[in-house]
Amino acid sequence: MKKYEEINSLEIDVMREIGSIGTGNAATALSEMMNRKIKMTMPEVQILGFNEAITKLGDPEMIVSGVLVNISGELNGVMLYLQNLDLINIMLEHVLTSKIDDFSQLGDLEVSALVEIGNIMISSYVSAISKLTGISINLSVPAMSVNMLGGIMSVPMVEFGHQTDKIMIINGKFIVEDKEVYSNLLLMPDIPSLNYLLKKLGVLNE
Amino acid sequence: MSDKQLVVGIADMKICRGPGKLITYALGSCIGICFYDPMIRLGGMVHIMLPNNMEGNNSNVFKYADTGIPATLRKLEVFGGVRARMVCKIAGGAKMFEVQGNNSIGNIGQRNIETVKKVLAKEGIRVAREDVGLNYARTLLLDAETGVVLVRSFGRKELVL
Repeated sequence: MKKYEEINSLEIDVMREIGSIGTGNAATALSEMMNRKIKMTMPEVQILGFNEAITKLGDPEMIVSGVLVNISGELNGVMLYLQNLDLINIMLEHVLTSKIDDFSQLGDLEVSALVEIGNIMISSYVSAISKLTGISINLSVPAMSVNMLGGIMSVPMVEFGHQTDKIMIINGKFIVEDKEVYSNLLLMPDIPSLNYLLKKLGVLNE
Repeated sequence: MSDKQLVVGIADMKICRGPGKLITYALGSCIGICFYDPMIRLGGMVHIMLPNNMEGNNSNVFKYADTGIPATLRKLEVFGGVRARMVCKIAGGAKMFEVQGNNSIGNIGQRNIETVKKVLAKEGIRVAREDVGLNYARTLLLDAETGVVLVRSFGRKELVL
């Protein structure tokens, strides 16, 4: 079984392509929901130590909102959608015609809307991958947390902590109407799933 | 006055003498354990992620409560710390997400808290103060000059342990 740090550049390219297809579908879903022009960046595939992974995404104490979905079935891991206040306001303005000045004003209705938007994006991401590779993937009920980035990111790390000291992040970002907003859609597969996926796609070089 | 501040990462441990500070950012379900020997102003902090080192993985002992705590105490003793004088304060062990139908993610904070306390009891150390559980991340700061421990979190007042 190949560990994260042992995968080669071809395999990384394949994972990037997977991320690209998934992120593209999520961006389309977001664009349809909000009726706005949304661009995405080329996803990055990164294999990082726990501490590097957090600093790469921002200041560990930065307050973000995260929607987390566990994936299971033939592909196991965690999907996490992180966003900051700017993007939340763009979304809330569209679906609820309301705006918030800081995270403490998030009520039940707003939280529920944000969870649903996150859920739709993650689901379209996963179903695109599932269609492409022909593997079945189950999604858990989404959960949301508004808190420090470091605390939120520690959840997937703890999940894989027994297997590895590193984490693989396939990260897609969105650009809403030519404005850079803080948004990260992360796919983090565990080690057996990564191997399974690469094997299924015929690129695993053992 | 001194701004010497050492950052303790995830699955990491650092020791420092006053004047100086140890800080670890955004503890989620992880736990930060502070040890302080007031006599010689020696402080140590370890940031553990998981309760038990089950697979005998020795690549990083500070990732686990059951190996990280004894290793930290040994290091502190090497620097002249005395176990009987040690003041211990802990923070973290939160449940960041309410995930339905998956208990492994939800319970890890609670399991960390229980294991940390058990391991500390086995090492003969009493937990003086704690701020654990609930559902928010914490930043933990230990001032090795005074032994004061601060806990910072989102939407709450700074807490002095």
